[in-house]
Amino acid sequence: MNDLSPKERLYRVLQHKKVDRPPVICTGGMMNAAIVDVMEQSGSTLPAAHHEKGLMADLSEAVCQKTGFEDLGLPFCMTVEAEILGSEINFGSLTCEPKIAKEVFPSVSQVEYRDLSVLKESGRLNTVAEACSVLAGNHPDIPVIGSLTGPISTTASIVDPITFLKELRKDRENAHRAIEYVSDFLIMYAEKLVESGASFIAIGDPTATGEILGPKMFEEYAVLYLNRIIDEVHRMRVPVILHICGDMKAVKHLVPKLHSDTLSTDALVNLKLLKEEFPNLVTMGNLSTYLLQFGTVDKVADQAAKLLADGIDIISPACGLSTSSALSNIQALTNTVKESGNGSSYL
Amino acid sequence: MGKNQQELLKGLSDAVVEMDEESTVSLAKEVVKEQHDTYQAIEKGLADGMDRAGKLFEEEEYFIPELLMCSDAMYAGLDILKPHLTIEDQTEKHRVVIGVVEGDTHDIGKNLVKIMLETAGFEIYDLGRDVPPKDFVAKAKEVKAQIIAMSTLMTTTMDGMAEVIRLLQQENIRDQFAVMVGGGPISQSFADRIGADGYSKDAAEAARLARRLVKGVAIVHE
Repeated sequence: MNDLSPKERLYRVLQHKKVDRPPVICTGGMMNAAIVDVMEQSGSTLPAAHHEKGLMADLSEAVCQKTGFEDLGLPFCMTVEAEILGSEINFGSLTCEPKIAKEVFPSVSQVEYRDLSVLKESGRLNTVAEACSVLAGNHPDIPVIGSLTGPISTTASIVDPITFLKELRKDRENAHRAIEYVSDFLIMYAEKLVESGASFIAIGDPTATGEILGPKMFEEYAVLYLNRIIDEVHRMRVPVILHICGDMKAVKHLVPKLHSDTLSTDALVNLKLLKEEFPNLVTMGNLSTYLLQFGTVDKVADQAAKLLADGIDIISPACGLSTSSALSNIQALTNTVKESGNGSSYL
Repeated sequence: MGKNQQELLKGLSDAVVEMDEESTVSLAKEVVKEQHDTYQAIEKGLADGMDRAGKLFEEEEYFIPELLMCSDAMYAGLDILKPHLTIEDQTEKHRVVIGVVEGDTHDIGKNLVKIMLETAGFEIYDLGRDVPPKDFVAKAKEVKAQIIAMSTLMTTTMDGMAEVIRLLQQENIRDQFAVMVGGGPISQSFADRIGADGYSKDAAEAARLARRLVKGVAIVHE
């Protein structure tokens, strides 16, 4: 079992099978680890790597090699989807990730519904898919994770977010129609990534939190459309990692309704307790990104050891990493998890 | 027969809490038609309703979509009533410069804080999102603000808040402004560490914090 490949280990954990130790990963997308230290050491830098498949693949490899995370995550932003659907993007800099400069539609009733088969061949969808294909070819034993921006966050990136949140109540019909369109687009994107060699799909949906939506809207919109996407990806025989932001208090009762293979959470959530409450849940998380940015190597290692002792199934940062996080802190995280496999008591 | 003033005030407050823009507007029109005190109608009707909505938000009965709809109702009522305020009613307000720090374009929280501060009687200068530190300082000086309020949702951009405080110190004007911070990754200990004057965990608390910060602070005239 000690010679499990990182890919095999991740598959096994998601199938509730025994492993020597938890995988330690960082999925890309919202949760990418393209920190300044890695970019400076490797020479593969953002923002250029957002646009060029070779650079994107190189940077993903560099992140994996230097940080010790056991996956190849793509892309390095949350704007691929919104850009193709029409929003204006500010691509940021080396230290600052891309962001939506302007949402393209003023309201859900004004969304322009375009032909998905046309969108399939446009924008950076191809860049990300081609980078996936390079990585999958070069690294058959390492999980290639294609990361999607979730349906609620993507819709809130193409429709003015304040109006969008109101319209979840005021204009349900068009809100559903817009999110359904975005979901179909995301399914098409996921399929393209899977066809290109992504072995796992991750979804981060930071606008879909209990704190923002409340339990009713979370169930009516987030659970419905996340599951629709997850079910379709499952039909492609690919596991799905879902990240939910926030403290989850208002939506905890909905956890069993989510169809993802694992649930990754913010540092605010006590994953050990969540696991006790939902024993079938594969838990993922949730090392504080605040600690990774401002903490010391020793503190990070202690926190990683605590997550291991708590029996968390997959160890990962709890949220998007600051680009100024120290590489040594991230290595303290990955090394602590990897060393736990030596003389393991898991078997 | 028209409603008396008490009934109208209560009706306005309830309509805001119930997110009922239409009845807020029709009640506001009735206030004007019956020549009731518009200032009272704003304070004890609309603002009271928004205050109650803020409490429901804190109690997790309401979430962001609900709070935003309440504020739509409130602003719709305000549009009707404001033109009828008398000169004496229009006292000078404490001024707040607000924005999301550079690098971050998540502005839902900032917009909620803005709404609650406006409801609490502050005059707001909204710099929007992705605001460079020097812009906060320049605007605060220009409008002679009492408060600088900053938010972020990303750990990546928290340093911008500290930078604003450094700039104020460099110009020797730190004591002219109260600095308040908030947003997902921000905590009281972070606020303390960068030397901010206050932290609030949500929009309703932010309004109370702002009131506390300006207590006893004179509005500067020149």
